[in-house]
Amino acid sequence: MSILVSARNLVKKFGSLTAVDGISFEIREAECFGFLGPNGAGKTTTVRMIHCVSPVTGGTLIVNGLPAHINNRALKKMTGVIPQEIALDNDLTVYENLIVFAHFFDIPKREAKKRIAELLKFVELEAKRNSKIDALSTGMKRRLLVARALLNNPKLIVADEPTTGLDPQARHLIWQRLRQLKSQGVTLILTTQYMEEAQQLCDRIVIMHQGQIFKEGVPSKLVEEEIGREVVEVRVPKEEDEKIIQQLSSFSCGHERVGDTLYFYCRDGQGLMRRMIELDLHNYLTRPATLEDVFLKLTGRGLIE
Amino acid sequence: MNLSYRIYYVFLRNLVSYKRFVVPTFLVSLIEPLFYLITFGIGMGAYMGQFGGKPYLYFLVPGVLVSSVMMSSTFECLYGTFVKMIHEKLYDSLIATPVSAEDAVAGDIAWAVFRGLVSGSLMMLVAILMGILPGSLLSSLLLLLLMIFVGILFASLAMIVTSVSPSFDFFNYYTELIITPMLFFSGVFFPLDRFPAWMKTLSNFMPLTHAVKISRAVFSGEYESGLILNFLVILVLEMIAFYIGIKMMKRRLIK
Repeated sequence: MSILVSARNLVKKFGSLTAVDGISFEIREAECFGFLGPNGAGKTTTVRMIHCVSPVTGGTLIVNGLPAHINNRALKKMTGVIPQEIALDNDLTVYENLIVFAHFFDIPKREAKKRIAELLKFVELEAKRNSKIDALSTGMKRRLLVARALLNNPKLIVADEPTTGLDPQARHLIWQRLRQLKSQGVTLILTTQYMEEAQQLCDRIVIMHQGQIFKEGVPSKLVEEEIGREVVEVRVPKEEDEKIIQQLSSFSCGHERVGDTLYFYCRDGQGLMRRMIELDLHNYLTRPATLEDVFLKLTGRGLIE
Repeated sequence: MNLSYRIYYVFLRNLVSYKRFVVPTFLVSLIEPLFYLITFGIGMGAYMGQFGGKPYLYFLVPGVLVSSVMMSSTFECLYGTFVKMIHEKLYDSLIATPVSAEDAVAGDIAWAVFRGLVSGSLMMLVAILMGILPGSLLSSLLLLLLMIFVGILFASLAMIVTSVSPSFDFFNYYTELIITPMLFFSGVFFPLDRFPAWMKTLSNFMPLTHAVKISRAVFSGEYESGLILNFLVILVLEMIAFYIGIKMMKRRLIK
């Protein structure tokens, strides 16, 4: 599979602040690549450089064989952007928002009309064609942003936290549409703080923190490698840690104490659970390991600000 | 300067959104000149006697024409652009498409010029209906052309202010300390002949003064060679303001 985006030692500085600190990655054609990280990790800054709205400070960034640059209209023409903020034109109706945007991409009027009809169907907004933006729910606005990003038949879609603030129905609809696009061969770049979203959509992810890439890989493998299969959370006073850790030492689990909870990361969760019952421990919870555990382990369970 | 034909698309976007404001803005554009022409022209004109052998209104109309263009294009690039940039994030969406930041800003300047042209022409229409006619048909056409130049100048100057403005309140400095005084120092309402020398010098630094001079000459059809200099002042100033306005807005938009 060919490489669509390739970054080498990519750096972005805002004055004295280094937002992206020398990262390297490659995004293949037709995959979904996710940037995960807490607020301020540098995810949005990175994707903004990829879709050519923010200049690169250092390193190289090649997209579709061309260096990413704010004046690179050819790259902007083949890219669809679903922005983090709901940046719709409030003075215009749903349809006008799309037709005006189609102009920006030089799409001829007849073709634009046809495309808009298809897209409104695709995001299930046909009934809202002539509504003003104020009259739409947040979910509808996000769907309209998806439709707008698809007007130019993009080869690359950049979705910057596309489901922030949505209810489950709206979120699943957007996920389905994004998966549908991927199956049509579109390359998808996603930033998200929702681990479930990354697991649902991404073929490969990088976990970013403070402008750097901590880890790169396939979501399920990352979970397996970093955490194991199961997580057991035990809520006991800190003083009992040593005793419990010793009692469970035969299961060769990793463990970590955060706040009121002692976490065990293991492969054999069932054996561990039986042992817990024998030990007569009450306040515990066993669950499958998720990307969230990887994320929290790597970036620290403390509050990041 | 990464400018392209896409300026037109940005202009078009503004035109589509304008549909909803067209009635109120036309009303404002009609009522404001009426207010000037009736209060100053008829009310004050009654005390003024003849100006160069003609009623005061003939003196007043050409000045008010260009100052209404100044007002419209200034406000459009201050408040209009600021809302689109900060509140609606429209510029952020625009620059993610093949429309460049320069196209977007120039498109908004073009739009402000159009708004100025609409205000100016409506005002001319009111004047004509009141019987204050330009010297000839050519005069009217030249006045429209002048309005475009004046519009570009004040739209670009306003862009510079918008590019450094942290909030709406900041615009008050510009409108109250520069634009409003300009209205009174540029010979719109009365001739500058009796100003003391320093005030005359000051008024020469105000671009509107030059626009008013040209407008008055074109309106009456009585030209003199000094007008070329007035026109050059406007032309040079607006080229500089256009360039700086776009550069500074770009610096604000692209980070």
